[in-house]
Amino acid sequence: MTTVAQERAERLAELPFEVSVSAGPKSVGGFVASIREIAAHRQLLDLLIRRELKSRYKDSSLGFVWSLVKPLVQLLIYYVFIGTVLQASRGVPDFAIFVFSGLTLWGLYSETISTGTASIISNGGLIKKVYLPREIFPLASTGSAIFNFLVQMVVLLLAIIVLGQFPVSWNLLYVPVAVAVVLIWGVTFAVLLSALNVFLRDIQYLVEVVMLLLFWASPIVYSWSFVVKAVGSHTWLLDVYLLNPISLAILAFQRGLWQAGSQTRVIDTNVIPPQPWPADMNLMLGGAIVVGLVALFFAQRIFSRLQGNFAQEI
Amino acid sequence: MSVSDMTASGTANVGGYASPVVVRAEDVSKRFVIRKEKSLKERVVNFGRSQKHKDDFWALRNVSFEITAGTTIGLVGANGSGKSTLLKVLGGIIEPNGGFVQRRGRLAALLELGAGFHPDLTGRENVYLNSSILGLTRKQTDEYFQSIVDFSEIEEFIDTQVKFYSSGMYVRLAFAIAVHVDPDILLVDEVLAVGDEPFQEKCMAKIKEFQQEGRTIILVSHSSGQVEALCDRVLVLSHGNVIFDGGAPEGIAALRESFEH
Repeated sequence: MTTVAQERAERLAELPFEVSVSAGPKSVGGFVASIREIAAHRQLLDLLIRRELKSRYKDSSLGFVWSLVKPLVQLLIYYVFIGTVLQASRGVPDFAIFVFSGLTLWGLYSETISTGTASIISNGGLIKKVYLPREIFPLASTGSAIFNFLVQMVVLLLAIIVLGQFPVSWNLLYVPVAVAVVLIWGVTFAVLLSALNVFLRDIQYLVEVVMLLLFWASPIVYSWSFVVKAVGSHTWLLDVYLLNPISLAILAFQRGLWQAGSQTRVIDTNVIPPQPWPADMNLMLGGAIVVGLVALFFAQRIFSRLQGNFAQEI
Repeated sequence: MSVSDMTASGTANVGGYASPVVVRAEDVSKRFVIRKEKSLKERVVNFGRSQKHKDDFWALRNVSFEITAGTTIGLVGANGSGKSTLLKVLGGIIEPNGGFVQRRGRLAALLELGAGFHPDLTGRENVYLNSSILGLTRKQTDEYFQSIVDFSEIEEFIDTQVKFYSSGMYVRLAFAIAVHVDPDILLVDEVLAVGDEPFQEKCMAKIKEFQQEGRTIILVSHSSGQVEALCDRVLVLSHGNVIFDGGAPEGIAALRESFEH
């Protein structure tokens, strides 16, 4: 007669021994093993994203509405002060759509990186007590950033439709590509910085400052044509500007959703030609994706090397 | 038992059937570096002399052992002897600096209070989150949910945020979840002392049941009585070394002896 204990012993005898991931294979093999481990935990990832969203606005009566208020107020500020007071909208047709599409994509990037960077520290309680593939924490922050992005995206699309500016053209294909570039680079930095932040807490404050800088280094409140005009004959500066994958992604996103940017418009008596989109934009986007994936690989490897000491450093 | 009793497949004969090895620690060492200064100013001021401000501390040194399925093993030792570190290394929470740990089967860890509870979520939400962390699917949790709540006896507070729970309620819920995820290996670190007496008895009964079912339990405890009552093997640690490995009564004696040095 077999007992419960005996059955268990027999089942266990069949199982292979596991070693933790960082003691396992290195480089590409280790990367694949990590991805597989994360995939095995996707239900948990889903719960963590929900937890993040739920706990953020817990106990507030407006809840999710708050995640919309900030970008809308930002839109209002830029629209009124930069657009009208500083008269930027005289050179940028459909200024509201232009600014909001830039803000929406930028919001995804900055939220992924800033909440991702803090994610390991803020989940210290879990990390010290249970083993999980730790990449799951920056990924959960990314997940909640994606959720907020989608909510804003709905508002943006509604606004575009209401204004009768829906861009039915092949340019729409730029939208998913731009989002892909932002996600790849966002996750890369979130994974890398979350691990470094454990050992040097200054990182999370540094990130805030750098994000502020990067915001103005991307064509969000000023249009690409302003950049081209400002650079003048030093066209190599444009290449430097576009080395930042996020500037490139934001351009692509605007090219997809901001119809007026690809048309000749007249504001008052001002004739505004279409935006001088960079000539080899498709190639550059492809490059940003490929380089981003390579960077993601290295970021994950560094994360994997560092994670063994997380539990004692937090 | 010594390693030579093991067959090639890593099993040992216990009680008439083959009992496989579920945890194998091989030459595990863990070093903590204690840096005394942390701020930038101190680092700059002490630059170049910073070696003096680093202390090495070996929490574990060359620890090797194997645990076969169905064993209840107690880790005992003085404060700071490396018990909890060893438990965390076994659970994969800390990576050793040298050596490795291999294990198989589902593992649940009860380290400190309410591992993985999120204070802002309700008890119910935490049950789902925690079971998922311990490896249950949503469907399985649905099945066990009532049983978990019944075991913890905190039904009326299950929809309250856990930040309002008392420490006893925390432990009740955490323990109830951990014993319902069907673990093959259960790691327990000193948590049983928190609940009230009836609940402690309930936990003991559950642990006895687990032993009958051939689950492996690794527990850290300062209570000699508890260790003697539950464990069939004891590892005594002192300054990161295993100084005794054997039966419970002898282990307790060895522990007492180590205190006298």
